[in-house]
Order: sequence, then C-alpha cells, then structure tokens
Amino acid sequence: MSQINAYRRKFMAAVGGVAVGGLASGVILRSVEASDVPAKPADQPVSNKVRWGMLIDINRLTDGGVAMVEACKREHGWGNDPKSRPEQQSQWMRTVKVTDKLTQHSFTLPVMCQHCEEPPCVDVCPTGASMKRADGIVQVNKHICIGCRYCMMACPYKARSFVHESLTDQRPHSPRGMGTVESCNLCVHRIDKGQLPACVEAAPNAVIFGDLNDPNSRISQAVKTLGGSQIRADLGLNTGVRYLGL
Amino acid sequence: MPLLSNIKSLLVLALFAIALVGCDAGVPEPNLAPAKAKAAQCVEPTADMRKNHMKYLLVHRDKTVIEGIRTTQHSLNECINCHVAPTREDGSAVHYTDEKKDHFCSSCHSYVGVKLDCFQCHADRPQVMENINYQHKLSSNTYHLSAKNAPPELSDLLLLGQSQQAQGVTQ
Ligand code: HEC
Ligand code: HEC
Ligand code: HEC
Repeated sequence: MSQINAYRRKFMAAVGGVAVGGLASGVILRSVEASDVPAKPADQPVSNKVRWGMLIDINRLTDGGVAMVEACKREHGWGNDPKSRPEQQSQWMRTVKVTDKLTQHSFTLPVMCQHCEEPPCVDVCPTGASMKRADGIVQVNKHICIGCRYCMMACPYKARSFVHESLTDQRPHSPRGMGTVESCNLCVHRIDKGQLPACVEAAPNAVIFGDLNDPNSRISQAVKTLGGSQIRADLGLNTGVRYLGL
Repeated sequence: MPLLSNIKSLLVLALFAIALVGCDAGVPEPNLAPAKAKAAQCVEPTADMRKNHMKYLLVHRDKTVIEGIRTTQHSLNECINCHVAPTREDGSAVHYTDEKKDHFCSSCHSYVGVKLDCFQCHADRPQVMENINYQHKLSSNTYHLSAKNAPPELSDLLLLGQSQQAQGVTQ
C-alpha cells in the first residue's frame, strides 16, 4: 500500500469515527517515520532547498494537543519559571478551543509559531534577531535580541513570549534567559541532528512532519491530496504549519 | 608599655607578610580539575585557548544559530560538559555566579574582571535532572521502528515503551 493510500485510509477512519482494528493500528504506528527528517552532516549549513512543515490532523488529536504542549515544555523547559505570574509565563505552544456559536460544535487545536514564509515578526525586528533560517524555520537569535517585543505585537498567532526573570539550570540544548523573546523553533537542535521535533514525537498518530519542498515527502503528498488549511490564510503569510479538520 | 608596642609591631609585620604572600599567590589557577579528569587536552592548544577562546565561541555561535552548523569542537555546551562538574563533592550545585568562584569560567573571569552574560541563558553546568523521553536519536532502533517495510507489531509498541523507560533510568 502506498503511503498516501495509507494516510487516506486512516484519515477516513478518523472522519468516520470508527475503530478499524488490527490493520489500522499498524498503519497508524507508521505515520511518523525516520525518513521524514534526513540527518544533515553537522558541519554543513542548512539550505533553502528544504522547507520544514507540519501537518496536524485535529480529528486524530484526541487530547486536543495537550500531549504536544507537555512535550514542548519538557523539551525546552518553559512554563514553570518560579517568579513569574501565570500571565507572564512563557508559552511556546498552547491549546485553543474553538466553538461555533450557532451549533455549539467545538474542537481544540494546538497553536504555536506557524513558521510563515513571510513572517511579520521578522519584518518589524530592529536588530535582525527575529529571523528566518534558510530552511524556513522562524526563530529568535537571542544573542542580538534586545527584548523590545515588537515581534510579539506583530505576530498574528500570539506565538511569542518574553522571559521576565533570571533563570538557572536551563536545558543545555535550549538556552533561555531574561530580557529576550522566545518561541517555537521547530526544535532546531533536534532537526539539525535528524530528529523530529518533540511535539511531533508526542503525537505520532496525528502529525506528519517533513520537507514541503520535496514533492515526494510524505507531508507534501498528504497536503497535495488532503489539503491542509492555514490559520488566518487571508493574511497571505504562507505558513509552514497546516491543519486538517479546521 | 614596651610589650604592647612589641606586639603591635609584630602584628604589623605579620600583616605585611600576609600581604606579601597574597601578592606571591598572585594569579589564581583556573579550576581545571573536572576537565583534566576527562581529557588530557583542550579542543585547541592550551596557550591558544587562553588567548582566543572567545573568538572561537563567538564565531561558532553565529554559525550554529544562523546556519545550523552543529560541530562540537567550539560548542559552548561541550566546554561546559567537559570543564564543569555538575556538583561539588558535598553535593551542592556548581554555578557560574557562585561566591566560591570555582566554576571553571568564573575561576578565571572573576580574576581578569571580564563579565560574561552567556550563562543568563546557557546552562552553566551539565544537565543532571533528565528529560527522559526525548533523548533518543532517530537512527537508533529505540525510535519509532525505523524499518519502513516491516509491519509494526503490538510488541514493537511495548518495546518502545520499555526502552524509553530504560533510558530514563540510565541517564
Ligand atoms: C539571551 C540568551 C542567550 C545569551 C545571553 C547567550 N546565548 Fe548563546 N545561545 C542562545 C540560544 C537560544 C542558542 C541556540 C541554541 C540552539 O539552537 O541549539 C544559543 C547558541 C549558542 C551557541 C551554539 C550552541 C553551542 O552550545 O555551541 C554558542 C557557541 C553560543 N550560544 C555562545 C554564547 C556565548 C559565548 C554567549 C556569551 C557571550 C552566549 N551564547 C550568550 C541564547 C543565548
Ligand atoms: C574534552 C574536554 C574539553 C573540552 C570539550 C574543552 N576543554 Fe578547555 N581544557 C581542557 C583541558 C584538559 C585543559 C587543560 C589543558 C592543559 O593542562 O594544558 C583545558 C584548558 C582550557 C583553557 C586554559 C586554562 C588555563 O590553563 O589557563 C581554557 C581557557 C579552556 N580550556 C577553555 C575552553 C573552552 C572555551 C571550551 C569550549 C570551546 C573548552 N575549553 C572545551 C579540556 C576541555
Ligand atoms: C584562563 C583565563 C580564562 C578562562 C579559564 C576563561 N576565560 Fe573567557 N576570557 C578571558 C579573558 C582574559 C577575556 C578577555 C579578553 C579580552 O577582552 O581581550 C575573556 C573573554 C571571554 C569572552 C568575550 C567576552 C566579551 O564580552 O567579549 C567570552 C565569551 C568568554 N571569555 C567565555 C569564556 C567561557 C565560556 C569560559 C569557560 C568555558 C571562559 N571564557 C574561561 C579569560 C578566561
């Protein structure tokens, strides 16, 4: 069975809301694959031949993305800064509940940096700290961030946070510190080593990660057949994070 | 009161002597014990490192953040992993800002009077509390059954769970 058929099949299963038994479980297990992120030699720079993207199937996220958020917290160590008030805590990723006022139908989806092709946060940054890597990852170069927070204002997805207090014992692979802005960086430190982002690993049945520029990648195949909507597509930002079931 | 003045002059002498010894001790040694326990050499010749470590670090940080180059030779994380022990013998955590100035970088930087802001963000000691689940590599067989062709079994799922647990214990 080709991959795309496999995907379509389990997507249909999700839409139908039916448990499909033994076969389906095998298919589901395979939805996150080693080949999605080929390892790059450590001494090679990233290239714009690649554009990383993520397709999140909301119907398959039975917890609405809570596990993804938890995985992100664990990986980057945010969300529990001792002296900050709850509204000051960093939030690299959050779950958002959407309810249709008329029908009362509601669903929950995880929202984080959408890794725009035309990121407004990069446009407004006065120092160049808010940047887009060649491979499409939007992140903060904290070494030159002055903490002005223009980018937080500019982001239509409310994806960025500011660190309000001095911290110690951060995760060695994810430095965070007072006075700088931060946000989802698609786990650059993992991608560069050929690993998947932590949240993708936490929701293997519902998320496909990969290279949108490679027509043969599983994510490209999936978005080609199934589509994948952008949040606020009207802004024309061409996001790298796409959703099914919005 | 000849005795008292004698004592006084003795005291003065003693103080002077202490001051002299202080001068002699002069340049403090950087705390190299943790690194020497792990390796015979630094990542570049020692004399070169003394002079140029900041250049290597600053070049490497831009290469990493902007270009995604992840070599280990001039990586700040690697300096810390080799040069700093997470705790002292009494079990207390070693931090760059500690009064004791026994953190490798502060053991020299406090003397030369150059302030570092790196450790406002960067971990200043190797990680001790483990982040259990997310350390395994894609290529390792503990990761999602990388074999594309073999159909995954329920037992694979169990295996995955077990190996993750095992990692949590060993790390
Ligand atoms: C405001 C926070 C912040 C400060 C202050 C900071 N860094 Fe960083 N640094 C980061 C972030 C974030 C990364 C990116 C980590 C990644 O992508 O894996 C990074 C990455 C690096 C890297 C590449 C990764 C590695 O471990 O080799 C180096 C080298 C580095 N920084 C050196 C420094 C030096 C030297 C200083 C002090 C002069 C410093 N940084 C100060 C946040 C900071
Ligand atoms: C594999 C372990 C290891 C790594 C990694 C390492 N060092 Fe070293 N370093 C050593 C050892 C061992 C010495 C002592 C060498 C000697 O005695 O000649 C040393 C010496 C030094 C010295 C000279 C200290 C003195 O005697 O005055 C400096 C400065 C230094 N290292 C900085 C760094 C920096 C900065 C990094 C990261 C880019 C780093 N080291 C990475 C092991 C390491
Ligand atoms: C043997 C003494 C010594 C040790 C050990 C040492 N440094 Fe330095 N470092 C210096 C001196 C001296 C300077 C200032 C040189 C100058 O300004 O020309 C300096 C400068 C720096 C700078 C540039 C600071 C700036 O504001 O431009 C960085 C970054 C740095 N050191 C990082 C480190 C780190 C990280 C460690 C620990 C792994 C370390 N150093 C250990 C002596 C040392």
